[in-house]
Amino acid sequence: MEHTSFGDQRNATFSFAEEDHTLANALRFSLNQDPQVIFCGYSIPHPTKAQVNVRVQTTDKEARVILKDACQGLMQMCQHIRGTFDKVVNDFRTKNPSGNHPSQDMDSD
Amino acid sequence: MSDSEPEAMAEADGVPSTKLPPHLELRRTRVLCKVDAPDNTDTIQYSGAYASLGHENSLRFADFCKDFRVDITRISDDDMELDMVGVDPSIANAFRRILLAELPTMAIEKVLIANNTSVVQDEVLAHRLGLIPIKVDPRLFDYLSENDTPNEKNTIVFKLHVRCEERGQRLTVKSNELMWLPKGSEFLKTSESLTSTSKPETYTSFTCSQDSMPEFAGNPIRVYPDIIISKLGFGQEIELEAHAVKGVGKTHAKWSPVATCWYRMLPEVELMEEIEGEKADVLKQKCPAKVFEIEDLADGRKRATVARPRACTLCRECIRDGEDWEKRISLRRVKNHFIFTIESTGALPPEVLFTEAVKILEDKCERVISDLS
Amino acid sequence: MANRESYTYPSNSGFGNDAMQGVSSAGVTVSYICGECASKVALSKNDPIRCSSCGHRVLYKERTKRMVQFEAR
Repeated sequence: MEHTSFGDQRNATFSFAEEDHTLANALRFSLNQDPQVIFCGYSIPHPTKAQVNVRVQTTDKEARVILKDACQGLMQMCQHIRGTFDKVVNDFRTKNPSGNHPSQDMDSD
Repeated sequence: MSDSEPEAMAEADGVPSTKLPPHLELRRTRVLCKVDAPDNTDTIQYSGAYASLGHENSLRFADFCKDFRVDITRISDDDMELDMVGVDPSIANAFRRILLAELPTMAIEKVLIANNTSVVQDEVLAHRLGLIPIKVDPRLFDYLSENDTPNEKNTIVFKLHVRCEERGQRLTVKSNELMWLPKGSEFLKTSESLTSTSKPETYTSFTCSQDSMPEFAGNPIRVYPDIIISKLGFGQEIELEAHAVKGVGKTHAKWSPVATCWYRMLPEVELMEEIEGEKADVLKQKCPAKVFEIEDLADGRKRATVARPRACTLCRECIRDGEDWEKRISLRRVKNHFIFTIESTGALPPEVLFTEAVKILEDKCERVISDLS
Repeated sequence: MANRESYTYPSNSGFGNDAMQGVSSAGVTVSYICGECASKVALSKNDPIRCSSCGHRVLYKERTKRMVQFEAR
């Protein structure tokens, strides 16, 4: 990952290789939720190149700190989604035990 | 709120937030489907979007946990439908994209054809074989990179040897004729440099048989059984070996673990005024998805009700016939309620696919975090 | 199975390749496979395209004995 900012650490562009809308759009959402973010957006400079640029401008913290927080927030969200989902699947299975699921045991971490 | 939460979200806690006026709240949370086009389709992500109204638009983690909900409508061996409520489209879309393009599976990549006298050309046959889903957990395998030699940790070998022996008959070759070779390739490599003393070399170098691994002991690797590969006329023969490797859907769709995966936003249908009598019948007739039902009132009158809003496809047939119909019915979609459908190809059950997809997004975040630290 | 990789020219008669029967008194003959009865049919230049045993008129060329590798894409 590349990180560019000129002088002011509050405004920065982060360039991710081998990433696309999947991560960038989710990150943009997460960043936008942060009241310390003045502006954030992403672009894919060329459709055939696997690269995205994420622009972050903040009120007073370093942009990279804010980005890190946003990633952490996104990760927490994912963990919560996964936890909730696994629980609901288990509940569903106990309520509807119809049909043995031979591959159920594969769902282990 | 716990200490582990990002500081940014904790700070937002101190900001007093007022409620949005109902007309704005409607536009924030619903897509409005008008007769000519859907309106208000964007989501307002920016935390300060309603700052002038004193409304804090950021989503706090605690609130997210409180509101987030998953309901499962159906799970079978190869498909499932679930409702995911309380997430932004960007997150739901990330899961969908990961399911389609970034979750690995095993698929046939190399086909060594020793004989093929069938009418299906070699390259077409190879392509068809590539698309056959292999029922094996890809997490048990490694990626085969360019300089790797194919071994028992990164390659699955299948053999196909069929011949139509019966005069005047057509033999249908189905995918269950693909036989798993746990010991690796059986075709010998012949080269001039090969000395008579060295062990004959095959196209793979397995150090041990795959069926000696605990995962596959008594559980042979199979492919999706009833896919027609080719049809053979009398005397026609196919003899080949197919080597399957691990890959992801963005390289080639044959590695996609889902037949397809999609979501739609929950439709919401509201009658803005009482629709009674003949009009109620007309409304019920209008809807091809049978969303409306007729209710008998005590005094013998009939009234239209919204019986199955979930079935609404937003065809807008009910609001098409003049302005008064448009005023009577409000068609909307709930912006943060996703009806997610996952159709697995059979490699992994759909609920495992979903958890794996979430994990991949987590991994992506983790990679960014470690890069920033 | 051993000689699958090494390619032998069809004209190089004998030795594991009998697609071309070489030069005989009748001239050069090439062997085909009947689409109906799967028997081998040796034809020379001016022969009618027809299976000698069943009379079927669809004949296939013989395939190389060499192993061919394809990418399943």
